[in-house]
Formats: sequence, C-alpha cells, structure tokens
Amino acid sequence: MDKIKANPRSYYLSLILMTMGMMVGFSQQKTVTGNITDENGLPLPGATVVEQGTDNGTTTDFDGNYTITVKENAKLEISFVGYSKKEIQVGNDDVISTSLSPDSNLEEVIVTTAYGTQRKISVVGAITSISNEILENQQSTSIGSSIQGSVPGVNILTSGGVPGTNPQLWIRGVGSINADPNPLYIVDGSPFNGNTNVISQEQVSKISVLKDASATALYGARGANGVVIIETKKGKLNTEAKIIVTSKTGISDNAIQTHRLLSGEQNLKMTWEAMKNKFVYTDEQSPETAAQNATNGLISRLAYNPYDKENPIDTNGNLVAGAKQLWDTNWEDVITRKSGIRSEHGVSLEGGGEKTTYYFNVNYLNEQGQVKKTGFERMSSRLSLDSQIKDWLRIGAISSYTDSKSGIPSQEGTSYQSLIQWIYTVPSIYPVYRRDANGKFILDAGGNKIFDYGDNKGQVNASRPALSGENAWGALNLYDVNTKVTHSSFNGYASFRITDFLNFRSSVAYERFLVDAGVYAHNKYGYAASVGGRVTKKRDLGTNINFIQSLNFIKDFGKHLVEADLIHESYGYEFETLNAQGVGFLPGVKVLSGSTKPESVSGSVSEERIIGYLGRLRYSFDDRFFLEGTYRRDGSSRFKKEVRWGDFYAIGGAYVMSKEKFFNSNSINFLKIKASYGNLGNNRGIGYFPYLQLYSTGWNQGENTGVLADSPRDENIGWEKTASMNLGFELNMFDDRLQGEVNYYEKNSVDLIYDKPLAPSTGNTSIKTNEGALRNYGIEVSLGGKLIEKENLDWEAEFNFSVDRNEITELTQKEFINGSKKWMVGKSLYDFFIQEYAGVDPEDGSAMWYKDEKDDDGKPTGKRITTKDYDEADRYYYDKRSIPDLIGGISSRLYWKNFDFSFKFNYSFGGYLYDSTYASLMNSFESAGRQGHVDLLNRWQKPGDKTDIPKLTTDNNDYNARSTRFLFKNDYIRLRDIVIGYKLNKQLTENWGIDYLRVYLQGRNLFTYQSIDGIDAEQSISGLTNSRSYLLRTISLGLRIKL
Amino acid sequence: MKKSILISNTLLFFLLILTNSCNEEILDEPKPTSSVTGEVVYNSREGVDAYLSGILRRFRRQFERTDAGGLYSIYFARTVKGNDLIQKPTWFLYDYAHQNRSATYRRVNFTWNYCFNLISNANTLIKGVNESDLSEKDKNETSAQALALRAFYYFQLAMEFQHTYNHDSSLPSLPIYTEPASGGKPLSTLKEVYELIVEDLTKARDISSDSRIDKSFINKSVINGILARVYLVMGNWSGAETAAKAAQEGYSLSPSTYKNGFDDLSNSEWLWGMPQFSDQTAYYWSAPSTFTDHNVGSYKGTFVNSEFVKMFSKTDVRNQFKNIYGLKDEDDYRYYVTDKFKFKFDSDIVIMRLPEMLLIEAEAKARQGKDVESAKILFDLQKNRDPEAKASGNSGNQLIEEILVERRKELYAEMGVEWFDAKRLQRGIKRTGNHRVMLELTPNDKRFILKIPQKEIDANKNIDESVNANR
Repeated sequence: MDKIKANPRSYYLSLILMTMGMMVGFSQQKTVTGNITDENGLPLPGATVVEQGTDNGTTTDFDGNYTITVKENAKLEISFVGYSKKEIQVGNDDVISTSLSPDSNLEEVIVTTAYGTQRKISVVGAITSISNEILENQQSTSIGSSIQGSVPGVNILTSGGVPGTNPQLWIRGVGSINADPNPLYIVDGSPFNGNTNVISQEQVSKISVLKDASATALYGARGANGVVIIETKKGKLNTEAKIIVTSKTGISDNAIQTHRLLSGEQNLKMTWEAMKNKFVYTDEQSPETAAQNATNGLISRLAYNPYDKENPIDTNGNLVAGAKQLWDTNWEDVITRKSGIRSEHGVSLEGGGEKTTYYFNVNYLNEQGQVKKTGFERMSSRLSLDSQIKDWLRIGAISSYTDSKSGIPSQEGTSYQSLIQWIYTVPSIYPVYRRDANGKFILDAGGNKIFDYGDNKGQVNASRPALSGENAWGALNLYDVNTKVTHSSFNGYASFRITDFLNFRSSVAYERFLVDAGVYAHNKYGYAASVGGRVTKKRDLGTNINFIQSLNFIKDFGKHLVEADLIHESYGYEFETLNAQGVGFLPGVKVLSGSTKPESVSGSVSEERIIGYLGRLRYSFDDRFFLEGTYRRDGSSRFKKEVRWGDFYAIGGAYVMSKEKFFNSNSINFLKIKASYGNLGNNRGIGYFPYLQLYSTGWNQGENTGVLADSPRDENIGWEKTASMNLGFELNMFDDRLQGEVNYYEKNSVDLIYDKPLAPSTGNTSIKTNEGALRNYGIEVSLGGKLIEKENLDWEAEFNFSVDRNEITELTQKEFINGSKKWMVGKSLYDFFIQEYAGVDPEDGSAMWYKDEKDDDGKPTGKRITTKDYDEADRYYYDKRSIPDLIGGISSRLYWKNFDFSFKFNYSFGGYLYDSTYASLMNSFESAGRQGHVDLLNRWQKPGDKTDIPKLTTDNNDYNARSTRFLFKNDYIRLRDIVIGYKLNKQLTENWGIDYLRVYLQGRNLFTYQSIDGIDAEQSISGLTNSRSYLLRTISLGLRIKL
Repeated sequence: MKKSILISNTLLFFLLILTNSCNEEILDEPKPTSSVTGEVVYNSREGVDAYLSGILRRFRRQFERTDAGGLYSIYFARTVKGNDLIQKPTWFLYDYAHQNRSATYRRVNFTWNYCFNLISNANTLIKGVNESDLSEKDKNETSAQALALRAFYYFQLAMEFQHTYNHDSSLPSLPIYTEPASGGKPLSTLKEVYELIVEDLTKARDISSDSRIDKSFINKSVINGILARVYLVMGNWSGAETAAKAAQEGYSLSPSTYKNGFDDLSNSEWLWGMPQFSDQTAYYWSAPSTFTDHNVGSYKGTFVNSEFVKMFSKTDVRNQFKNIYGLKDEDDYRYYVTDKFKFKFDSDIVIMRLPEMLLIEAEAKARQGKDVESAKILFDLQKNRDPEAKASGNSGNQLIEEILVERRKELYAEMGVEWFDAKRLQRGIKRTGNHRVMLELTPNDKRFILKIPQKEIDANKNIDESVNANR
C-alpha cells in the first residue's frame, strides 16, 4: 500500500493492464502453462502474461500459476508491478515457469527515506539500499555487518570475533571527535537504542543507508553521522498463508592464522642467549663465564623446567644431549576451538488477504566463538500485522521479542584473564596443570590434576614470572562470565485518509531492553581468591518511547506534483542501572545470596527527551525536475533551556537530463544529476547533563558520605553541527542493464562537541564545549547491473568503492598529542605520530631510532640522526593514517536453471595498523618467561650481522617500544560471503507436499588476503590492536522450504 | 469519502497534535539523579565534610592506571627509584629504570594532573566555605584541612618537577593557583611556591583543630608533620625540629605491631593514612602492598636489595626478609622479599608515622649541633626496634649519616624515603648489590626531575616549549 501512496499512477497502470489481459480472446494455437515466482521463489499472484505484440494476455492466480494460449513461436511478456519485465520465447515446452526480479527501472523503484518512501527517480540525495535478495545471501549474526561492502562511503570494522559483536559503522568519514560518531539506527520507523544484534537478519526485508543532508535532515538532531534504516518483513496482500522453514548449520574457525610462536625449546635457547648477551655486553663478563652463568641461571630465571635435566641448555646454547621434554603447552590449542558450530533455524508464517497481511517469524541462532566456552545464543520472534480496516483507515502493528545469552570471558585488553593476550604472553614452557619439581603432576586429594596458577611456593615449577596468579584455562573453567539480553519492542500506527490528497498518520514505538551481566570469580583460584570469590551483577534497563504524528499531502496539478509533510515527533528515553557485588562464597555457590560480605551496590537513572517539529516539501515537474526542502526544529533535554533548540534544514534538487528532447544517446538511457546541501546536528555520546556543574556522589570515605566536584562544564554547550554537501549523478545504460551512481560529498562539522584541552595545572584536563572543526570529503562510485538476462541464465554484478578523506580544520590549540596520533590543523584525526625506527646497529645489535640533529642553541638543523636512547628519539608524521584510502566491495549473483551462485568481497586499502601484539612478541627476553614470535630467529647475534631485529638481552631496554618498527600497511580483501544453491524441481517436491525447496552451501569470511600477518585486519578505527579474538570463518549447509 | 469522516479525522488530527506537541515542558523533566548542587555542599558542616571525604577518597581512588592510581602511586614510584628495593618488569618498571620522565609519559602526566586536581578541589572548597554562612569555627576547621591539602600537594609537585629548593630556589617551579581557575598560569619560582606552602601550612596549623573524624582526615598533628617534611627540604632545621616535635603528640611506638603488616590505620604509630574497606578499595592498585607482598595472589613485583637486607640485625623487629622462592643464587634480584606490608583489599595505606617525626626531630637537632639530644632520640628508636641494639656513639656528620640510614630502615617502601633524602640533600643514587637495572644518579641528576607535561605546554598560553629545554 505504501507503494500506491507514493505512486498512484503505477497502480492504475497495472490495473489497466490487468483488465486488458482479461479481455483478450482466444485464437487457438498452443497452450502454455507455468508458474511465476518472485526472486525468492515465492509465487507472484496477479502477474501479467501477455503475448508480445498482441492484446492476448492473462494474469497469474494466487499460486502464481497461469495458462495462456498463444501462437507458436510467440514471445511471452511477463510483468508485475515493481518487478522487471521478462520476455520468453515459446518453444516446444508447454510449461514456461520463471521468476521475476525486482524492478530496476528507476521510475518505479521505491526507496526508503526519512519518515516515508519515495520513488528512486525523485531522490535528490544519497541513499543506498540493500535488498532482501542480497541480505539473504549473507550469514550475519549482527545485522550491521550485512552492510559491509555493499554501500560505498561506509567504513565498517568488526573489532574481534566474539560472536554477536556489533560492527562499528562510520558513514562518510568520522565527523565527530568526542560526540558519538556512529550513525543513528531506525528500526521500523523509530530510533533504536538496544543492541543491534537482537535483530535477526532473517526478519529484515531491507536496509537503507542515508548518507547526505537531504536524506537525513529530517532526523536533524541525530542525523549528522548518517542514518541506517532497518525495515522488517511484512506479509503480502492476496497471498495464501505459507510456512517457510529455514535451517542452516555450519562450522567455523579463525579467518586469519594467528601469530607464529616459538616452541618451548626455542624459548629456552633464546632466554639463554639473552642472559648470556646481558652478561657479556652489560656486565662485561668473558663469553665463557657468561655462557656458564646463563646455563646455570636459566631455570632459576624461568622458574620452570620443562626438561628432565637440571640445566637443559648447555654452554653452547644447545639442548643437553638426552634431555627429554616433559611438556610443551600449546596454549592456543588449550584455549581456542579448532572448529565452532554455528546453527540457525527459522520458521515464518506469512500471507495476506484482500485487506490484511501478516508475518510471523521465530528464529534461533547458536554460534560458538573462537575461544572455548564462548558463544552467542539468540531466540528472536517478530509479528507484523497490517490491515486496511476501512477505505480511509489503515492500521498496523509490529511486535518483537528477543532473548539472547552470551558467554563472553574477556577476549580483549590487558587484564590477566584476557584470553588472547594469554596466548601471546605465556610461553609453552609453562604447564596447564601443576607439576612438582621433577615435572610430575601434583594431584589433589581426589586424584585430579590441579590448575597451575603459577603462584605457588617452591624453587622450580611453582611460581610463574608472567601473569602469575592466573591460569587462562582455569579461568575459562572456573569463572562464569555471562550476559543475557532481553529485548522487546512494539510499533503501532494508524493511518487516516482524510481526502484523496491528504493523509494523517499517528504512530507509537516502544522499546525496552534488559541487559543482565554477571561475573563469577572463583572462591579459591584467581583474582578473587583472596576474598573467597566474587559475584558481580549488573542490570541495565533501557526504555524508550517515540511518538510520531504526520500529515502528508500529495497532489498533482497536470505535470506538477507536490508533496508535503508536516511531522511532530517526541522521544523519551530512560536508562536505569543496578549493580551489586559481593565476596566470600562457599565452593560452587555463584549467586549473591551466598555472599558473606557485600562489596558494593550502586544504581542510577538517566533520562533524555527530544521534541522535534519537521516539515518537508517536494515538488517535481514532469518527472524531470525535482526539488526538495526539509526543515527540522529539535529540542533536546541534554542542553540548557536557552540553547536547547536547534534548527536543521536541507535543500536538494535533481534533473533528469535524459528526458529532454535534446538528449540523444544510444547507450545512455537515463541520466540524472543531483545536488543537495544541508545542516545537521549531533547530540549523542555526551552524557545526559553535559551542561550542569555539580558534585558527584559515591566518593564515600568509610562511613562518611563523600562528594567530589565534577570537572568544569560549559553551561552553554549545544548542538554539534555538520554542513553537508552532495553532488552526484545517476546513469543507466543499455536499457537499464547497467546502472551507475557517482557522488561527491563534503561534510564540514563545526562547533564540534569537543573536550577542549585545559592547562592540566588548573586541576582539569579538559572541558566539553563546542569548538573545533573537521572536514570529511570523498567520492563514492557504484556500478552494477544485469550482465546476462536469459530464460535460464541471469547474471548480476556490482562493484563499488569510495575514497574518503578526513581533515582537521580547526583546533583550539596548535597541536594536540593524542596517544599515537598528533592532531594538527591540516592533518587527519588518524595520522600516526610516533618514533621512527632506524634499524639495528650491526656492531652491537642495539635498536636505533631517529632524532633531530640540534645545533649549539638547541635548534633542529633539519637533519635527522640516529640514537640508541629511545628517550631521545623524536616523533614524526609519516603521512600514514589508520583510516583507509579506499574501501568498497564487489558482488555478483548468478542464476542458471535451478542453480544460484553469489558472492561478495569487501576490501580496504591504504590504512596502517600498529600491531602492539606483535611488538610484545618481539621482546628481547627482557622480562623472564614471555612468549616470542618466530621472527626472533632472525635476530642480531654477532657483530656484523645485518638484520632489523636487535639482539636478545635480559638487560633493561626499549627495543620493542612504540615505533614505526611495528607499524604496518593494512590492506585487505575479504570474501565476505559466498553461496551456492540448488532449487529442487517443483514437480518433484510437490509429491512431498512442498512448494519450494532450496539447499545451499554458504560461506562467510572464507578467504582473506591481507597485508599484515598474524592478526585480523579489522581492529579499530585508530589502527591499534588490543589482543582481540579473531573474526570467524564459517561454512554452512542450509535448507529453505516453503510449505 | 464521506464528509463526516473527513471532519472527524481532521478533528482527531488536531486533537492528537494538541495532546502531544504543546508539551515542551517534558524537556525539563529529566534531572540528574546521582549528583548534588553546590548549595547542598556548602549549606552545612556535614556537606563540607562530605566534600573533604570525597577529596580524601581520591587519595586512593583509581585515577588512571595501576601505577597511576593515587597518592600511593606517587610514593611507590619514588620508592622504586632508590637502591633498597628492586622492581621486576611489571607496573612501575620505567620508574625503577628512571625512564619515566618525558613530557608525554604517564608518570609525568599523572603526577601533574592528579596533584593539581586535588589542589583545584581544595581551592574550590576554600572558596565555597569562605562564601558560605557556616560558623567561624566550622569555616576554620574545614578550610584548615583544605589549606593543608593544597600545601601537601604543592609540596609533592615541587619535589617532582624541579631540582630541590636548596639547589637554586630561583628556578621556575609551578603555576600557583589559590582559587578555582580555568586559564593556565605561568610558572612561579621554587621560592614563591615554598612560600605558599609554608604560608598555607602555618595558617592551617593556627586555625586547625586537634580532633578529626578519623585518621584519614587532617588535624593539627598532621599539619605539623607535613610542615616538618617541608622544613627538612628547605633546611629550616629549627622549624623542622619544632614541627616534628609538635606532630608527635598523642602517638606512641608500638614495636609489637611492626610485623602486623602495616595495614591498620588505628595503629598508635600512624599519624595519617588512607583507610580501605572491602567495598571501598583500590583493589590490586594498592601500592606498596600489592607489589611487595609475595604471600598472596597479586603482582609479587618488588624485591629487596641483598645489601639492604644485610643492614638489619637478626634481632631487629624490622628484619622481615625472606628468600621465599628458595633461590640459590644470591645475585638473582628475586632473592629477597619483604613481609613488611600485608596485601588485602582492605589493607589501609600509610602516609605518615611517628618514627618519621622522631627521626626528623633527631636529624634537625643534629644539624643544629644538639648531638646528645639527637643521639638519644635515635637510640631510643633503635632500641625500640631491636632490643639488642647498641648505641653507636656517633656525633656530627656520622650521627647524621646514621639517622639517614635509620630513616631508610624504618621507612622503606612507605613514602620513597631514599629518593626524598637523596633529592633534598643533593646526593646521587648509586645502585649496588643484585639490582635488575644498575645505574648511578649524580647529585642533582636530571633524572631526579620530571619534565613539564606536553599537554600543559600545549594548553597553557603562559608556558612555552622552552621550559623543557634543559630538563
């Protein structure tokens, strides 16, 4: 019905066609029957089948079946509103069945826009949609990752392979520094606050990404960083009830090989060498004495002896003859799965009568993570109803309920129990289970092995130097880390047709989610052992409610079409937290009631409100000229009353040049140029009361209540504003076979919500205020189309790319060092500014860095010289950024008879990554008992050695300190999805009572080419690693059945 | 369409608009729930005490990272810079190696930001109290604590960010703020900074009370203790003697508790400390105990120089050193650990103890030639710690040296005594024994001072790049 509202003419056109079809008489030659389906193999009732060049035609019935009698050698034209027409030559076969794909004819395609839909031809801004067809060929646990590689100008990163991780999206660059740079998510028309991983991909019919000002201005307050609109599935009118069952099961492992690590023997030998080097080069011992001391001191240094000889390494640095290795722990095998299972099953019921449609789906997903015991389990359901109750009243409702549970022990960061870090920190010379001084297992009273926490007393095999007091496998077994999320939503609307040209619609959306996170730390082992175990419970309850009232006007006056919308929106959000923590538990007791001592309890309530008044006016002439203006006035409770209201607007226009008489091209059949400009805002990610200067509670000292002054506030803090410009053209060639679009954009974000640095001596390091400016600009190109379109063969392909640039245009001070970056006007937020590695001095094996040569007055001469003192090394810009120069995707779909085959690649080029995991693995054995990388085999060993890897030494050194030594180019191309499917013949399946059956093999992340080794290319926008788990590579076998 | 429907729909539309839209007051509804206004703070003594509690809590809150958590981190960084203790490569390893002083490093930023943050809170409190309607008594008792806090943290900063006072008091030291400010000020000289410190402390001493809520709060005795430390640095021996003496009132030595683990604020030797509770703790950040205690699960990061261990007699109650890992090689830096500090989440952390005041008094007396009185104070303490102790009979410089050694033996790992003395007396630090990182600091070595943070230079119009040229 939405389509009809937006484009009444196409509706009438098809009505006329249908009527014409029924009036055709007979002229008996050959009778053809068949079944017409949509792109998913579902029947298309009411499709028109016409004998070409005649008035002879018919329409399909409820099951998509038709019968027509035509001349021999006739051509059939099969069409349906919203789908592209197909021509099929009648041959010897009496049965001609085919499927239609959604129409790519611009004049008829409907796109989703802010608060509504519109015909693609009239779009003046930059909107990219991802259809159900493309979504279904993907295997995403979190819906955001479905966008990757499909929409130019959207940079997506999935940081870590924890199942259910939501990817981060940056639409058209990074437009905010301290405010939330993520896009706004709209699900079925209202802002979504929950975790997007609660939405099952199976229930999504379309994702639209709104990129420029004219597309997003109606979201004014929150639209500056783009908008992602997710629409869920609905039933279709006049279709029989049908049940669709989907099921797929697959196995997964790491998409990328982990870093290659030293064996236990290598680790021992290198530690020996590092000790010897220290004795020789630092303590100036003779090589013989040094070697002897290293041999004697080795086991004492490592504190563990994985061999059966007292001093397993001899004075030549070799393994003593006959030494037997007692253990060589492969921590990766201990901690991670060889293969995880992913299974997903769904059941849908959908259909519709003349006035009412319905859709119901239940989907179950269970995905295991890379790390053992981790996983994500989700059950989600959705019910959607729509009914034309009266000819002037239409109502609809969607309700959803999702339960998810994830086991997520820390797989990121530097805490002792962070599991990936463990693999890269603890070498294989340390055992999983306790061993005595002779290497024999120590057993408990019950005869079981005991986890070795490495904090026992004893000369050998007792106290581990690294991460002592923890054991990763013990932590996985003895700690419980779980998060349960319950999410429910309800959307309802009523739409009143006041006159033919005036419609009023009122809608409400209610969303509530509960995040229940619990951690149990063991009472006897690990970080809470000293307090008898700890249970931490956090419950966050979020509720938001959104009301939209809109009045829509649409009327044509001859060739002039005018559309106008007046909208009022009000939005309220409440977020309530409750945390409780207790210690002192009996063995096996993991609930707070068992705590002997409560440690802490806290809770808070935060609220937010937004009121918006919106207006939109569209005018078009003859489907040639389009003009659109939007305006939104927003009030946000996050700002002081006086500065609370912000005005946002956008204007845009488009001109379909190909409709002009003078336009005369054989190849180009459609050409549209478009431009838009607008002003948007952002108020997210800044806290709820950024303007109030208060004293925070919670600073109690013993029994005395304590408060502390908040950092200074700017009471006049207001909207962050982005002026956004888009210029582009759309081009169709060869009868719409090929479609292309090019957009240039420029976004100038001013009055950034910015933590303006203060002189820290004032007691505070920053104040949140509106200052500074950023510019993002780039070009987006997409090209695609139907390369082959034949009776039994369809081939579609697209590619897209974008080149995006980020530039700081205003700062409150000359420059600002922010970790590994330095912010300066003219540079991007992501330009690395670190020490430059100058290699290894072949004489003594020391690492060197560059520094500025200084003259006698201490002024730089402009020349660079090397230094062996890291402290003296200067930092430099290298024109290397963590953000890529070029991102994009390539995808293709091929249908041949009953087979289908599709794939999608996404790629990213030109970014840089600082691999701190690799840096720590390239340590010089300065710290006792650390894991090392096999690259260390190429270290400097004797004077004259030419290598980039410095000598090993246990002496204090900075060899692996932050420098360009560990800064790597980060290019990658990844086969995101690949599917091969086969649809069984209907004649066959009908015998089993099945209308449709397709089996398919689906792969995700099956292949990745990347320029860096040992770590996933997708890390973080700032190009820094953090011991993250790896993205999963999954291959699944799936089944789709329609009853 | 029927006209009646048209009319009813239009009416409905306006009704909905009216009920929903003209309600902009809903934007005023959200209110902060976990904060209070300044009015609540300064309207009553309880409010101001709550603010003082909050400031004192920050002494031991987790400010930044494990080695940059609170006052305890500043003291422990000083501790590992000396010769007596050895830090394994864990937190504080760069302080141990004297490599944590560049303008962008965490030690530099933390010490600067943290101390100035507390100074700013003290200034805010002083201003708020002065402008309040509290009684004169309440104003005095609360602002005395805030003045002492301001002086205490200026003193920490002055020690870290420039050479010692007696080296050259005309050197640029710190920006001085005596009220809340948003713009950065230029560096004042060491002389000016110490003038402020002494002025604040003497004023605070005059208006302060003897009583206090608990031993984490500041009373007259604590103020005298801080003043004694300050005078020691300035070389004002008579002032140090008087202040140290005054600070001792009400405390007594308790050798039997020395081995109890230094975790109890109520100990009669403690003047001032940071209390911890199972629900209010710095957890694994609580230096020194989180590093020095090898008996419980924690970092187990700190070892004791074997040469330092040899300075303790067998009968000395403070001889708590063990070869806990049963190592054979005494040159291994992990040979000795100390049981001085017991690590628990609720272990209190010491800031100031009576023996320090006794030794300040003894040193100040010796420096003024009162050797006999000085030697008596020293020997009383030695005898208290070691029943077998024999008086050395030292006088003059030898007596002073003996006192300095006694300070190390008594106070090691508490407030960085070795670094503090080396710095104020313009001596170097020479590492000996089984250290992991050997080094030698000459007197007034640059490594005794931290550079001015780059972030300060970048954001403060009154301080430019040249400030670090010779640091």
